[in-house]
Amino acid sequence: MNITVTKLKRCDLLKLEGRFDSNTAPELDQAMNDSMDDGVFRIVLDMQDVEYFGSAAIRALVNAYKSCRETTGGDVRLAAVPDRIMHVLELAGIAPLVEIFETPTLAVGSF
Amino acid sequence: MAVEYELCVKSSTQNLAAIAEFVAERAREAGLDDDSIFDIQIAVDEACTNTIEHAYATRSDQTLRVCCSVQDQEFVIRITDYGTPFDPDSIPEPDLEAPMEERSIGGLGVFFMRRLMDSVEFSTHAYRGNQVVMRKRFVPNDVDSTQ
Repeated sequence: MNITVTKLKRCDLLKLEGRFDSNTAPELDQAMNDSMDDGVFRIVLDMQDVEYFGSAAIRALVNAYKSCRETTGGDVRLAAVPDRIMHVLELAGIAPLVEIFETPTLAVGSF
Repeated sequence: MAVEYELCVKSSTQNLAAIAEFVAERAREAGLDDDSIFDIQIAVDEACTNTIEHAYATRSDQTLRVCCSVQDQEFVIRITDYGTPFDPDSIPEPDLEAPMEERSIGGLGVFFMRRLMDSVEFSTHAYRGNQVVMRKRFVPNDVDSTQ
């Protein structure tokens, strides 16, 4: 599991790689909290290289989404979601609620 | 006689990746397709997470036993722990229609298990511990190709 944070003018871009289970989801939680602590409430998660995204990771996503959306213009948006991960998000009823883009560039540009 | 493969690890979330790999390897050998293997990995991951967080209250030095076998064209996973019995009925079903702002944080794990597997059974035995048995029906690849 790896998270690479790129600070852009419009938002923070977090590139996620590998497995996000209950062991590693706290690091995703921490990374998004770090952005918010920096005053950044516009976050893009690049999901292209995510192999697994379990309920703990979904909880982290939901929590960050709620916090970001409490601020004006704040949001957590997803990009390049692999089919199997999309299936998990659909099963959890998350997919229709979060803005999802084909590429990180489109997601960043949407802010 | 059905062969049963067993992995016995400590109850740490650090072992979840190894458990997922063990189960995926056994399922691949049995002839399941990649989508089914992914579903099984999710269900096993959520079941083991529940065990670690609820049965063992996040203690990482306890025993977690994962067994895999094939029975009558079903891939069967049995997960055993010796902690506090887990009552799945105590976990409310997640409201998947609720807006994000109203989403609760619990219940998704058991929901995933039940949606992705063909059957999920919880049981508690005085000496054999707590068990969750999950089954996934499949048609083995080699059988499929001859039909």
